[in-house]
Amino acid sequence: MSPDWMEAAVVLENRFVKRWKAAGKKVVGYTCSYLPDEVFHAAGILPYRLRGYGTEECTIGDTYFGPFICSLPKCMLQLAGEGRFRFLDGAIITPGCDSMRRLDECWRKAGDDHPGIVPGFFFHFAVPHKFSDYTVHWFADEIRRLIAAVEAHFEVAISADRLRDAIRVYNRGRELLRELERLRTLPEPPITGTDALAVVLAGTAMARDVYNDRLAAFLAEPSPEPPAHRGRIRLMLVGSANDDVELVRLVEGDRALVVADNLCFSARCHLDPVPEDGDPVEALAQSYLRKNECPRMYGQYQGRLELLRAKIRSARVDGVVMQNIRFCDLHGAENGLFERDLEAEGVPCLRVEREYGALVEKGRLKMRVDAFLERIAHRREVCA
Amino acid sequence: MRQATREYHFDRMLWSAFDTAAKLSRGSEKEYRTTLKYIPYFRGVVDALLQPGEPGREFLRVCARYFENVVTARERGRKTAITTFCFSPTILYAFDVVPVCLEVISAMMCLAYRRGTGEFLDYCNEVGFTETSCSSQRGALGGFLAGLGSEIDLVLTDTPGVCDTNANAFAFAAAYLHKPFFQLDYPPVLVDGRSDTYHREDYRALIRFLEEHTGKQLDVDRLRAVLTEVQAQDEMIAELDELARCVPNPLPVSFNLMLYAGRFLFAGMPECTHLLESMVRMARRNAELGRSGLASGTENARAFFCYIDHYAQDLRLWQMLDELGIGYVGNILSRHWGATAPYVRELGKQDAAYSIDTTGLDTMIDSIAALNSRMPMVKSIRGPYDAPNMWLEDTLALAKMYAADFIVYNGTPGCRNTWGMVKLFARDTEKAGFPTHIMNGDAFDERVQSWEATRERFEEFIRVRRILR
Amino acid sequence: MIVAGCDVGSLTSKAVVWRDGSIVGQAVTKSRAKPWESAEAVMQTALAAAGLGMGDVEYCVGTGYGREKIPFVQEAVSEIACHGRGARWLVPSVRTVIDIGGQDCKAMRLDNGGNVEKFVANDKCASGTGRFLEVMAKVLGVELAALGELSVRARHPVTLANACTVWAQADVIKYLSDGVPVEDIAAGINNAMAARMATLVNHIGVEPDICMTGGVAKNSGVLSSIEKLLAVRLKRIRRADPQIVGAIGAALIAAERAGAGRS
Repeated sequence: MSPDWMEAAVVLENRFVKRWKAAGKKVVGYTCSYLPDEVFHAAGILPYRLRGYGTEECTIGDTYFGPFICSLPKCMLQLAGEGRFRFLDGAIITPGCDSMRRLDECWRKAGDDHPGIVPGFFFHFAVPHKFSDYTVHWFADEIRRLIAAVEAHFEVAISADRLRDAIRVYNRGRELLRELERLRTLPEPPITGTDALAVVLAGTAMARDVYNDRLAAFLAEPSPEPPAHRGRIRLMLVGSANDDVELVRLVEGDRALVVADNLCFSARCHLDPVPEDGDPVEALAQSYLRKNECPRMYGQYQGRLELLRAKIRSARVDGVVMQNIRFCDLHGAENGLFERDLEAEGVPCLRVEREYGALVEKGRLKMRVDAFLERIAHRREVCA
Repeated sequence: MRQATREYHFDRMLWSAFDTAAKLSRGSEKEYRTTLKYIPYFRGVVDALLQPGEPGREFLRVCARYFENVVTARERGRKTAITTFCFSPTILYAFDVVPVCLEVISAMMCLAYRRGTGEFLDYCNEVGFTETSCSSQRGALGGFLAGLGSEIDLVLTDTPGVCDTNANAFAFAAAYLHKPFFQLDYPPVLVDGRSDTYHREDYRALIRFLEEHTGKQLDVDRLRAVLTEVQAQDEMIAELDELARCVPNPLPVSFNLMLYAGRFLFAGMPECTHLLESMVRMARRNAELGRSGLASGTENARAFFCYIDHYAQDLRLWQMLDELGIGYVGNILSRHWGATAPYVRELGKQDAAYSIDTTGLDTMIDSIAALNSRMPMVKSIRGPYDAPNMWLEDTLALAKMYAADFIVYNGTPGCRNTWGMVKLFARDTEKAGFPTHIMNGDAFDERVQSWEATRERFEEFIRVRRILR
Repeated sequence: MIVAGCDVGSLTSKAVVWRDGSIVGQAVTKSRAKPWESAEAVMQTALAAAGLGMGDVEYCVGTGYGREKIPFVQEAVSEIACHGRGARWLVPSVRTVIDIGGQDCKAMRLDNGGNVEKFVANDKCASGTGRFLEVMAKVLGVELAALGELSVRARHPVTLANACTVWAQADVIKYLSDGVPVEDIAAGINNAMAARMATLVNHIGVEPDICMTGGVAKNSGVLSSIEKLLAVRLKRIRRADPQIVGAIGAALIAAERAGAGRS
């Protein structure tokens, strides 16, 4: 696999972003997968998924946020406070969850004490928590509000045609990512879960048309040697946001393979096509709000359970690792329900809680994963 | 959960406890004092509530009546709906559905149970909740999830967009109990044409949901009766809010709890009206005599609680404030933002308030949608804390209007949205001249920080900042 | 056939030397900073007790947090699996095992073969672990081993903060200065630990028989408090020190592997 993929996964201001900025173009960061990237692509702006990856400590994050808060937005604030997001021309904060929505005021107030860390365009973009006719209508208006603000601030025009073009480009990417996900379900997947995450992360940090070309080429490459993945325990990884390839590497070790996932930052956010005809804003509002991979869409647990069941079947998953970041009650509690229902259906599940940030709990996590793999291995022996 | 806890339905136990407590005042003083010896763990609360006289008696009756409604709902052919404290029960009473308000029940468990809600909180963790989830729902919810409460028919919440951990608890409950679920969802801006439209459409969707699941059409006359009662109640609440501005504050410390508990449980029903009437009578008397509502009669300072009270255990927070001579001038729960409220007039916040128009069905639905969108937290915690009509603006305006000497933040460790910015908030309130104390305990779980430690820190703050006159 | 099990924990390291179905040597020592040094020390002590040397050991399984760093083991197995095996050997009827170690606590359910069917662990905070009891005993000024005995004599157990060990410490100091009897505080400490444990074990479902392993199993106060909360009697481990159950399990697995290797 090309080292470019891993570079995009672990370096915030990767080579592509640097070239983009050097060409005088703009970059806008966003926190939530419910934001339609197409809006920015249509404006000629790079939409960049904000991450908290690479923090070594969290003193700035802890100064503004209170103690009982998920470490993901804290790490994002830490990076912002250290000036690591100075390449951004804008930031969009979305109430994906309460902890994340408070990044809005925490970042602004931190900006009073650390001058220059708040990007020039700073926007609170709301998303309803349910899908129905009036919520889609409201959301479409919210997208129009965002478009108007982007046009005014960046002095660009985002026409309906440009939006439709952007939708086509993103749909092409979605098609390619669906193929990537399909390959992971094969009996001998040509790619590990670690590498798959790196490939998906790269898509959040470079222009979509460039990404599409690279991804298409990557998928067309023959595997150099059949990878030694047969016989590995096949896992699905679900739960809180994860943009750290090392976490997946820790889970996989040398005995397992993550062949499917349902995580924020992973492919789940990028799969369903958006209609390319009709009013593009309405199409975006319908398609994005319809997505049901996230527990922020309250009352839709059964739909998400079906999603997991379908993935377990298609990827022939042996066990599910359910992780949540401490204080992430949405994923944490829903993992409890998933565990109850999937275990009742005979699917082994492991629930673990962790911190987001520098991967410091390797021993503790590994011990639990190892015990889980032993359990599955024993089960395989019994069933054989 | 201990075997002993599983022997009885917890809501029936609470009904029995409050019903008996409500009858205690009918005896002679000697009979009363003797009976208190037999309820060693509840007597502190009972005595504290009965001290103010008639309002306390009425409040105990209201609590007893509430549990009676919950426990006897099925046999009386009524449906039950789990709701949250910031979901106005008016619409449910219009449909003759019994609201089962989790947070208020959790608070009452803290008052009546020796060990508070610990076992029930832990039960929620056993069945899948994270232990970091908010304790306010988990106390009562643990009882229902364990099958130790009355049968629940529906699950309703209005905290999406306002409080995730709250909304999540309800979504979990609905999935766990396999019950129909409805969420009212709130955009981050309060005063906005789009928000108004959204509130109205969302509320109509709620009504369609209730019609479907109760098998009844919304009864216009019944809705009008309930809203007319709310109007009368709002007038009395406005009067109490006005009287609270007096120095000294003629309202006893416990009146705040009675006011918001009454409203959360029985808004639009005679029970709340009678409670408010008795409170207004006493408050007026005290005000005429220039008398403080505190037992000592001397007000040494005035506290504005910007968030919620501390319920674990018993009524010790209220007793402490009373002992220290600290007048309580309200919290986020005790402000209703009706158009007739004194702070709405004084602060020129008519567009942030609701008014009730009972002319026709549409105007009534619009009124109730607006009322619900001004419920505590739903109004002021939905958007960035420093945005117009949000938490900071409200807190500073109210603290100033009610001549507060200091501000207190108390919540639970599960409260992501306030812990996400309370440091910023406190920095701003301090800059505005209000010494601000952040309490680290859990309002519903004494095992997080013991009351002794909580009280010690509170008193240290009072001393160091020289709050008391 | 001589095999061994070595369990390197954060606070203590344990080793068991096993021959033909019995324990012939065992040791518990304080862990050092480097797990391989702890493993070496405890294994040498156990071997000395058995009158044997490292060369006599045909197969050794390592477990615990330092398991992959032990140079003389043939295989590393999770401590969860080892505790399950060890508990089953000590209490043949056991189906649910509660283990409270120095820095974490776990609950597991076993199948008929003593294999782990389901497990759950909670170690995010010291307040559910042996470390919690150590800290509290120090504040109380009593020996750790005395906590159980003291709590039996309690009349009014106190409620302690159980979400944070530091805050619980502050509570204990306050109670002491208020003259609350040490017995009542000891009972409060044990109850706080037991409540956290009961929640954990209820999550995976209690299936009798149940036993407790790890150093905290020697605290009768915690044991009886858990029994009350779960409304079920715990089987006491009497054949061996409950602290070495993980090492016993490791030795059992080593015996299996060595036996399989031979055949």
